[in-house]
Amino acid sequence: MKGIHLGILLAASALALYFVDELSSYWMHVAIIAMYYGILAASWTLLAGYVGLFSLSHMAFASIGAYTSQLLIKWYGIPIPISMAAGILMCCAVGGLIGWVCLRMSGPYLAIFTLGFSEIVRIAIATEDQVTAGMAGLHTDPLFPDAATRLPYFYTAFALLAVSLVLMGLLVRSRWGLFLRAIREDEQAAAASGVAVARFRILAFAIASGFAGLAGGFYAHYIPIITPSMGDLDEMAKLVVMTVIGGMERLPTAVGGAFFVEFLLEKLRDLGDSGGDIHLQVPVLGFGIELHNFDQWRLPIFGVILLLTMRFARNGLITPFWLLFMRLGETRAGARPAATDLPQKDSGT
Amino acid sequence: MSAELVRGEGIVKRFGGIVANDAVDFAVTEGDLIGLIGPNGSGKTTLINVLTGHLMPNGGEVLVRGKRVSGRPPHIYAAAGVARTFQLTQLFGRMTVLENMLVPGLTRPHSSWQEAARRARGYLEFLNLAHLERLQARKLSGGQQKLLELGRCLMLEPKVLFLDEPFAGVHPRLRDELIGRIQELHREGRTFVVVDHDMESILRISRRLVVMARGAKIADGEPAAVRTDQTVLAAYAGL
Repeated sequence: MKGIHLGILLAASALALYFVDELSSYWMHVAIIAMYYGILAASWTLLAGYVGLFSLSHMAFASIGAYTSQLLIKWYGIPIPISMAAGILMCCAVGGLIGWVCLRMSGPYLAIFTLGFSEIVRIAIATEDQVTAGMAGLHTDPLFPDAATRLPYFYTAFALLAVSLVLMGLLVRSRWGLFLRAIREDEQAAAASGVAVARFRILAFAIASGFAGLAGGFYAHYIPIITPSMGDLDEMAKLVVMTVIGGMERLPTAVGGAFFVEFLLEKLRDLGDSGGDIHLQVPVLGFGIELHNFDQWRLPIFGVILLLTMRFARNGLITPFWLLFMRLGETRAGARPAATDLPQKDSGT
Repeated sequence: MSAELVRGEGIVKRFGGIVANDAVDFAVTEGDLIGLIGPNGSGKTTLINVLTGHLMPNGGEVLVRGKRVSGRPPHIYAAAGVARTFQLTQLFGRMTVLENMLVPGLTRPHSSWQEAARRARGYLEFLNLAHLERLQARKLSGGQQKLLELGRCLMLEPKVLFLDEPFAGVHPRLRDELIGRIQELHREGRTFVVVDHDMESILRISRRLVVMARGAKIADGEPAAVRTDQTVLAAYAGL
């Protein structure tokens, strides 16, 4: 990323922060939730996109982070930032352990293993209602108890997303990032090249789970109640859809996917609420379709978007726009790679 | 006397009921250029996999520069100076040619991006791949991929290189280029073990020939002597 890109991103961020209070409370909430999913999508991309570890337990780690943080507050009365940090550490430790247990697994085996783990976490939280309040949900302490608007939460979510992206960006551009991509491409060849494959796989699980724990901790202290469904398969599927639609080989496109899906889902809900029935005219064929209970149709519509993405745009819908953005400022001569550039500077970020 | 780099003592490797290596002794000393040959299924690749840490032996020991390393992961072997290529080329396909070179370069202790990139570009120049450094590795031709795999090995600054079928499926012009590079590196003091079915190429480069059949080593010596060995002719050529 060059100066011009950084400048544009900073200017866009500054504008967003400046004009955010123009948003209604509802859309500000949508933006906050989109940023929560943004952290999750980026960290899942770190694991699935960069290392090739298709884990389905990412949302389970978000709920571990959320419950750990709130339970520590409930039991020991510690401040929220410390309890959130403890949640992150807990997720890193459990994530590292899961990474170690499934060292020899990949592809569908890893997906099924992590799905199993995710269900164990969800059922344990649902069952242990003496501790977690079970399906009734655990009431949480707000991060800003005196806040009259959602604005402080917006700024916090924004800061957490920005810091997470910077940290993950630094990681993927470092030599560790190169090793993680090598592991994704060919574990055997990476090992023959001197990469400690087991160590890096465990590390990737621990780091990605830590970020999921951070997102979960924030969510717990934003939404006044957390339930076991926070880590269920529906949520995980939503995260996968967000990441795949955005583009799972780059952190910013994954975040873009999270925003795109979250905002579009809410917009479609909005359309559904405004009338319920939608009439779609197919211009080429000249006939119309009546969609009754449009609110119910928004998820199948996303299914179709996902199928089309997988068929026609495997790198995601946001990726072409991101690549176009990254080409800004290139002159014809500059478009040729400079011989002295190091390759990691423009790869995978 | 040359130092011993890798030694396999009584290597046994079984896959179910099949004995792929049956108490094989194999030593590589500094400056060797060994051709390892044998009919299909004779256990050559299995032996290389064991000697480079990619397979755990069921019996016997592997020593690298006198240190026992059996059972350790392959990156320990790489750090000890043992590099290898694979029978079916295994590159980091979606990474660029230069990135493929940087991975091993940056695993070396105290390495930096600048120093690794400088060395990588030097080796790419040597291998005639410098103009392709920005290309994804999967877009290279088969022969270029073999050259890149050799380059990736060289980035480890290894003491010994195990090349598994480096000439298989390679265009004759690129095969000659590959042979030339191996000979040049050998003259500079690198040690090689080359497995291949291409007898002409193997005999062109080998200083020592090891023959395997049915999981056992049946001959080891000067190529001229091994070629006329009756056991070898019987087992390898079916005469």
